[in-house]
Amino acid sequence: MPSGALLFQSVILGLLLGGLYALLAAGLTLYFGIMRVVMIAHSAFLILAAYLAWWSHTELGIDPLLSMVVTVPLFFGCGVLLQRLLLARLRAVTLTMMSVLLTFAIAVVVEGLLGYVFSGTQRRIQLGYGSASLELFGARIAVVKLIAFGLAGVALLALYLVMKKTTFGWALRATIQHRDAARLVGIDTDRVAGFGFGLGLATAAIGGTALSLDTTIYPSLHWHWIGPLMAIIVVGGLGSVPGAAAAAMVLGLAQSLLQIELGTTWAQTVFYLALFVTLAVRPQGFFGGRLAQRF
Amino acid sequence: MPSASRAQPARIAGGVAVLAFAAVALAFPSIAPNPYILSVGIVVLNYAVLSTSWNFVGGFTGYISLGHGALAGLGAYSTGLLVTKGGLPSFVALGVGALLVAAIAVPIGYAALRVRGASFVIVSIALVLITLLVFQSWASFTGGSRGLNVPRPFPGLLRPEHHRVFFYLFLALLALALLVWWLIDRSRFGLGLKAIREDEDKAEALGTPTFAYKLVVFVVSAFFTGLAGGLYALWFGDLDPIFQFSILTGSYMVLMALLGGVRNLFGPLVGALVVGSALEYFKVEFGNSPLHLVATGVLLALVVLFMPDGVLPALGALLRRFSPTTDSSIREVTAAELAAERATIGGEQHAQPRNG
Amino acid sequence: MHSLETVELTKAFGGNLVLDKTSVSFQHGKVNALIGPNGSGKTTFFNCVTGLIRPDSGRVSYAGADITRRTPHAIARAGLGRTFQLCRVFPRMTVLDNVLAATRPRGANLLRGARGRAETDRARGWLTKLGIEHLAGIEARNLSWGQQKLLELAGVLMSEPETVLLDEPAGGVNPALLDRIGGLVRDLNAEGRTFVIVEHNMDLVMSISDHIVVFDRGRPIAEGPPSMIRTDERVLGAYLGV
Repeated sequence: MPSGALLFQSVILGLLLGGLYALLAAGLTLYFGIMRVVMIAHSAFLILAAYLAWWSHTELGIDPLLSMVVTVPLFFGCGVLLQRLLLARLRAVTLTMMSVLLTFAIAVVVEGLLGYVFSGTQRRIQLGYGSASLELFGARIAVVKLIAFGLAGVALLALYLVMKKTTFGWALRATIQHRDAARLVGIDTDRVAGFGFGLGLATAAIGGTALSLDTTIYPSLHWHWIGPLMAIIVVGGLGSVPGAAAAAMVLGLAQSLLQIELGTTWAQTVFYLALFVTLAVRPQGFFGGRLAQRF
Repeated sequence: MPSASRAQPARIAGGVAVLAFAAVALAFPSIAPNPYILSVGIVVLNYAVLSTSWNFVGGFTGYISLGHGALAGLGAYSTGLLVTKGGLPSFVALGVGALLVAAIAVPIGYAALRVRGASFVIVSIALVLITLLVFQSWASFTGGSRGLNVPRPFPGLLRPEHHRVFFYLFLALLALALLVWWLIDRSRFGLGLKAIREDEDKAEALGTPTFAYKLVVFVVSAFFTGLAGGLYALWFGDLDPIFQFSILTGSYMVLMALLGGVRNLFGPLVGALVVGSALEYFKVEFGNSPLHLVATGVLLALVVLFMPDGVLPALGALLRRFSPTTDSSIREVTAAELAAERATIGGEQHAQPRNG
Repeated sequence: MHSLETVELTKAFGGNLVLDKTSVSFQHGKVNALIGPNGSGKTTFFNCVTGLIRPDSGRVSYAGADITRRTPHAIARAGLGRTFQLCRVFPRMTVLDNVLAATRPRGANLLRGARGRAETDRARGWLTKLGIEHLAGIEARNLSWGQQKLLELAGVLMSEPETVLLDEPAGGVNPALLDRIGGLVRDLNAEGRTFVIVEHNMDLVMSISDHIVVFDRGRPIAEGPPSMIRTDERVLGAYLGV
């Protein structure tokens, strides 16, 4: 039986991890909600942002967090272009399937380019405050993890405010809930979809930067992330941002606790187990609330 | 169906092409300049079987699986482990291994196919990731990252003969897969599957048990994929989780089927010939640089955006343009015709006994 | 007693109560019509009855059996066929294949050829009856709206349903075609098929129905023969908001 301190530490770490997952999954579920697109390239952009953060730190000496000043608007623009120029070209009938292939292709291209430009060597940011940690009731928590959680929290809060309080957010939610009805009310759903995508990739920029703080990155790392993230959005209910956040917290916690007994590799299986159970028992997800549908 | 005269040139060309391919394929081991080229031929044939097997699901139901690489890997490992740990004779292990893959496909399909395509795709990707994880970590059983060595079924054969035998084995497997695909294509089961592809809710409303149909074709697909993987294991002899459970292999299968045309019997084969040869060529010229990832991605994106129906349908349409059209025109019924029809239907009604 | 009926069927979408303890009984062997103002829950009612949507509570029974929780295909096989409000056909299949897809092979028959003599003749028979036999080889996506409606009907009838649910068969259809559809319904009814038709076109409803049920805000407010419904004050009130 693990000690109380160890359990407590795992719980804290699990919550911090869950927060980060929540941000990453929020973007992923957003694409699905807006356009019924399974955006496999989301995690590839995550890693791209991490690489850009690493590169700006290593080559330019800038704190990786500052790289967000460039990457967030850049990725936002990329998202808009992606949606307007590529995804909008796909026929509506086979949209989900073809978008999977298209975003898969994009992910592979990003991975290939990363490998070509930065080579396959594993990279890690060496931060001055990288090894600092805080003591909290006997639990040892790395400062970078707190920063990552803080970033995720702020970003999620911003996302929440945008969705609930701004005209754009209202239009976005209307488009998610019922695209045709939104159009009837006069919303330019194509433009909204483009900006929604930009929003999703912007969260990838933030998430990737958070990731870069204390993860070793390499080009094929995105495969390591897309599995758990997709599991999270299914468990949370495809298209539901609050659902994804809730599922992220639960699964992040579960992973952290299981790590004590099973080690890092096997603890990852909790995501796939949750995915399987959800689809077998309640395919519309557990936390999606009224928006929940079966996809 | 297009009227006979329009289809003739396309059908004749198609028939000639198939015969030509068969002739070249049968003669290939004899005309191949060296054993290396022969082994490339085997790799291409392997791709052809894999993409045709994938096309049971992709072509008929329209569900895109990115996880068939996992099924191939499972086929390879189950065959390999049944030989090394289970002591079964090679080809018995092959059959049993493929059946095991088909069996595993049942619970996977149960979770993946209960709802629509989005969940299916997600599960298929997750499948590759989790099988990679399991087979890498469970080193005691599977050999882990060190890999698994599968003894050759015909230990006495020299390499050229070994390749020759397996070339014909793969060719036979391809023929079998094509035959089963063709049988389903023309059958009522196949028509039901295609209805699912066109409009799943509508098919369900017409009385098609969509879930059962999807599951059956998924299991069949898994079986053939497992066979291909297992045969590869027996031929190649060395298994490594990273290569066996590669999401890239799965994407090649999709790319090949899509490029050739998923609604055609020979589409995946054509795609395999084109992409497979190109892959091997690039491997020789440029080594294993990450640029071939970029090339794969770009090619897949181009096919999806500009040629989603594939090459074969485009060729078919081109050929049909070179023949005279005798199509019936689409016309609305005029009021006079309607009146005439009503008179006929009314006449029929009087002739039949009335119910109740 | 083969009859379609619902008992206290309830369905809400979010805060919107669409079906409010709806209890309706349709007459077997007759042409039933389901009318009511927009938003009164008619299509949702159809979707719950045919299994496309799960009701929050209540029961649907057909031929004495409880079909509430059955899958759409099981309900179809029990004898209920339906068309869709926004006509649904299989776009990239030929007209003939669209109709052939409505056969229900079992067991070994699954592997038999899809275009066997018997089925094809039967399919062509339905196409002829609906006047679109000359389009047999055309892909459904190339048909006009009216032709697609006829095709959808042919497909449903091919599956030999005991009861046919038509969701706005007159929607977007020209008068000549409307005449034909009305005549067809009467002829098929005379052969023993039960119909339940959701419709807005009052001329059609009044001319072919035996029994009319009127919905308003999720529940039936009036029931009876056309002559009675035509003058019912509650019905007029529901439509005119009086």
